[in-house]
Parts: sequence; structure tokens; C-alpha cells
Amino acid sequence: MASLAARNGGSRRDQRPLKKRLADASAPYLYSAPALILIVTVMLVPLVLGISYAFRDIQLLNPFSGGFIGLDHFKTLSQDQNFYRALKNTLWWTGWSVLLQFVFGLILALLLDKPFYGRAIVQALVFLPWAVPSFLAGLNWAWLFNPVVGPIPHWLFALGLMSEPYNILSDPQLSMWGPIIANVWWGIPFFAITLLAALQAIPRDLYEAASIDGAGPVQRFISITLPFLAPTIAITVLLRTVWISNFADLIIVMTNGGPADRSQIVASYIFTQAFKRLDFGYASAIALVLLVLLITYSMLIVVLRQWLLSKD
Amino acid sequence: MASIDIAAIHKSYGIHPVLHGIDLEIKDGEFVVLVGPSGCGKSTLLRMIAGLEAVTDGEIRIDGKRVNDLAPKDRDIAMVFQSYALYPHMSVAKNMSYSLRLRKTAKEKIASVVASAATKLGLDPLMERRPKALSGGQRQRVAMGRAIVREPKAFLFDEPLSNLDARLREQMRAEIKKLHQDLGATSIYVTHDQIEAMTLADRIVAMHGGIIQQVGSPLELYDNPANLFVAGFIGSPGMNFFEGRYLATGDTANFALTGGIVLPLGGTAKLADGSRATLGIRPEHVILGAEGPDTMMATVDLVEPTGFGIIVHLKLGPVAFKAFTLDRRFLGMHGEVAVKLPVPNLHFFNEEGRKV
Repeated sequence: MASLAARNGGSRRDQRPLKKRLADASAPYLYSAPALILIVTVMLVPLVLGISYAFRDIQLLNPFSGGFIGLDHFKTLSQDQNFYRALKNTLWWTGWSVLLQFVFGLILALLLDKPFYGRAIVQALVFLPWAVPSFLAGLNWAWLFNPVVGPIPHWLFALGLMSEPYNILSDPQLSMWGPIIANVWWGIPFFAITLLAALQAIPRDLYEAASIDGAGPVQRFISITLPFLAPTIAITVLLRTVWISNFADLIIVMTNGGPADRSQIVASYIFTQAFKRLDFGYASAIALVLLVLLITYSMLIVVLRQWLLSKD
Repeated sequence: MASIDIAAIHKSYGIHPVLHGIDLEIKDGEFVVLVGPSGCGKSTLLRMIAGLEAVTDGEIRIDGKRVNDLAPKDRDIAMVFQSYALYPHMSVAKNMSYSLRLRKTAKEKIASVVASAATKLGLDPLMERRPKALSGGQRQRVAMGRAIVREPKAFLFDEPLSNLDARLREQMRAEIKKLHQDLGATSIYVTHDQIEAMTLADRIVAMHGGIIQQVGSPLELYDNPANLFVAGFIGSPGMNFFEGRYLATGDTANFALTGGIVLPLGGTAKLADGSRATLGIRPEHVILGAEGPDTMMATVDLVEPTGFGIIVHLKLGPVAFKAFTLDRRFLGMHGEVAVKLPVPNLHFFNEEGRKV
């Protein structure tokens, strides 16, 4: 009503005094200003500062640094073999972690969806790893893999999978798998929780109708469970992929990117550059590249989703 | 098509018994309606026939073959659910052909069967739509189409019209009846709506508290209810009940209502002199504005016009009852009116609630 009156008024000559008109016009901006200012200061300022570091020479130990150097960091980066290895490792780390977390999470959700005695307790226990701080999980697993204090190497040796009980975290070929295993253990509950919630939202009479129509358990899973889970699977896998590729905690704690940078991912490489070598400028440049890669990935997924939805 | 025999069926959930010994024989091609208030066990019985609930005790035979331990898919029955239970991510055509595709039926056969079912149900223009793009009535039709394409031994309907509005329910009711006349398939239909039961059934099975109360044709249950439950459940507005005492005096008898009014019966009933009993009369049998002997004066409480007829709420002393009339003279009625309860239309129920 108010806007209608305003438009009708606008067609004639506006009779209101200038001050009143100014106040009316600025009212919506004044109302939204506090929220906008807060968002800009909290979100945009750090982002812009961080991005600006990528184009400046900022080294904490060099008091003469701080100048604008253009694209120098990116030129160095394009020659940096460690960065390329970290990029490859990131794919390896993210791919296996997400895949295994998803597969085990789905199995767990399917098991927990069926009623059985003591289900509530089992559910609570299953979700426990998610509640463990990531660095504690990392330390714990590092010790489990350590032949001096942990049992895992001895078990693998007893099963004949290892020639002698050694620490896989110090094996350049295998060191990546230590953090991946810890990450899978830590991240399964996330998939289990979300998929279980999605499973429980499926109407039971669909399964009944399908079983009367002649569908066995596998056919029911394929023609009812999977189509219902698909949107949840898509969104959780997308989210976890972004989180995990950024998630350096376990690697820093367990291998610190070693041995010889063999388990370094881009995120842990940024951490190493920034807080071990104290080269903030170079670290920001790498971070910017990672940001661009992840945004590209997210956009691809969004486009893919739109395409799938429009196909329906 | 097949006969279905239900023998001494019991069902309990843990220690809670739900069905207490159900015996029922359903003949080949018969349309049987299980009717009763919610919680009476009718849906449980239907789900046991479908194989969705385990049988605690007793035996279910389809076509003479014991099916107690068969999976739903091996019983060769089709079911229509209250929620329709259509597969939301499949088109109408896919929904209807799902069971045939699972059975690896030849493609040409599927296409022709689905097409003929679609034509029968008027679904031809909707075949590529998803269920969410359909109205309630259309979804209901798809659910029925999904059932008929398989030509099963029996159709089970679990309150299939409950989610539709009144007009659509009436229309679908007629369509189900026509479909049954066309296909002649054995059908078991569960509902709490006695109009659906009356209009659709060859035989009605009235259930209450996990026990069959009466089995019979719709008019049998209407004209000759076996007990107070059936008498009160079938018919709308429901039968009037008067509690009182039966007083025999030689050739004739009186009925003393609680509240002091005495009805002369002009005949006798098979009740002991002085026993407590309930007298029932359907509202349309109550004569309003009666003259002559055996009339009583009742107070008019409320007049409800239904368009078709008029429901008059009356009071005889403290006892409330209803009369139904097609005579519009009674529309503006108030004060007192002479009523007569004609003896041939009276139903007597003994103290246990059984009809005598």
C-alpha cells in the first residue's frame, strides 16, 4: 500500500519538504546499515587484506619487506615443484577421504536405520569420533601407528602384511595413508548422521508398495533408497570435498607434511609457508590459488546440479 | 483371481493382542469391505493378507494355498495405499509398469497392458508426468492403475479414498465399483466410512475391538444389525437408542424408558419380563406429526436441513434422539411435536447388546 501511494504521489509534483524526502529515501539504507557494516568488517576486510598480501612481499623475519611486488609470488609458484606435488597430494587425500567416509557412512546409516536392541546406545557411540577434537584424533592415530607405543604395526606384522613393525607415517610411499585413515575414522559420523536423517525421511509405505510389486532388497535400495538419498549425497559430498581439501589439522599433527613433503597437501603447505617459514606473502598467494580452485569446483557442482534438476 | 480363506487369525504386538480369532471366507470375485472405527484391527488384517505384517497365529490361504510364510511379492496380490505410495521419482508410466519390469515381462506386453489400463482410468494424457504434478484424484487413479496392470489374484485397498475431498471421493467410489464390475477381481477394501462400505460391498465385515461383529450384505447389516455396535455404526444419522426395561403384559408389552416414559409396543419381543434392554430405531422410521394411538409428545431441540431431507433433533423427557424426514413442513418446527415409533421398525437389544 505504502509503495503504491508513493508511486501515485511521484507522478504528480512531490509536495513534501526536501528534508522529509531525504529522510524517507534514506530510511531503508539506515535500517540495513548496521548489519551491512558488520558483514563488511567481519567478512570482506580480512578477505581483501589477505588477498592483498598475495601481491606484497611480507616476511615476518625481514623488517624491510612489505612492498608491492605484483605477480612475483605467482611466478615463483608456477615453478614450485613442492606446490605441484602438494596439489597432487590434495587430490589424493580429498578423493580417498571423501570416498571412504561416504561408503562407510552409508553402510553405517543403513545398519542404524533398522531397529534393533540397544540401537540408541550404538548410535551415540558411532557418533563419538565426530566429537573428538581433530588434533587429539591426529595425535591418537599418530601414536597408534607408532611401533614404540602403538599396536597397529605389530598387528600388521603378525598378519604378515609388514616385513617388520615400522611406522607407516615415516614411509614416503605410505605416509599419506596415515592421515587418510585417521580422517576416515573421524569423518564417518558426519555422513552417517546426515544420511541416516535422509533415510528416516523416506516414507515406509513406498518400501511396502515396492515389496508387493515384487522388488527384493537390492531392487528396493536401487529404486527407492538411492533416488531419495541422491540430493543429500550430492550436497554432503560437495561440502565434505571442500572441507577436507582445506583440512590440514590431521596432516600437520601426524606427519607435518613429511617425510620430505610426501604427505604435504596445499592447505598444509600454506600453513608451513606462513607459520614455519613466516613468509606470509607467499602463503597468501598459494591460498589465493587454492581459493580459485575450490570456487571453480563449487561452481561446477552447482552447474551440474542445475543441469540434473532441469533434466527431471 | 482367487478365493481367500482366513482361519482363526490372531495378531499381537508384544503382549498387546490386536486381533482375537478372525474367521472369514472370501469367495472368488467377491468385493468384501472391512469396516470399523480406527483401531479395530481392520488395517492390520489387510496388511496380514498382504504379507506386510506377520501372522501371530492362524492361517491365511489364497486360492487354497497357505501363504503365512510367503513374502508379499510371492502372494500375487496388489495393494492400493491410503497415501497412494507412488514412486515420486518415476513417471506415471514407470510407476504403473514397475512391477512388470521387475518380473522381466516382455516390453511389448508391458506397453500394451499399461496403455490399456491408462485408457481405462483416463490417464492417457498424464503418462509422462511425475506424481507430484498430479492432483489427488489422479494420483489415486495411478495407484489403481499400478494395481490392475499385474492382473493379480486379489486387490487390497487400504482406505484408498480417505485423502480425497468429498466430491472426488464420491466419484472415485463409483469408479472403483465400475472397475470391479469390469474386472471381477476378488477385492478386500478397508474403510472407516460406512457409506463407502454400503455402496461398494458385496459383503460387509463389521469389525470392532479385534473381533468380527457381523458379516453380511449391506442391507442385511442395515436392516438387521446383529448387535448394538453394528446398529450404531451403520447408517447416517445413526440409529437412535433408548435404554429401559421390558415389561411383558400377556399378549402385548410395554417398554419403560429410563426417565419414566412408557412406550406401548403392541406386540412382544424375545426378552424376559422386567429385563434391562435397549430399543433402537432408525431416524427415518420415526414418524413426525403422527396421529392416533401410541403417539408421544417430544420437544424439538434443533432442526438440521441437509438439502435432501431434514434431521430433527428431539427430546423425549431427558432422552435425546433424531428423526429424519423428507417433508419440508417440519423445517420451521419448534415447540412440541407428536411422534410415533412404529413397532415393526423397532430393534431390541438385550443387556449384552445382542439383537433379539
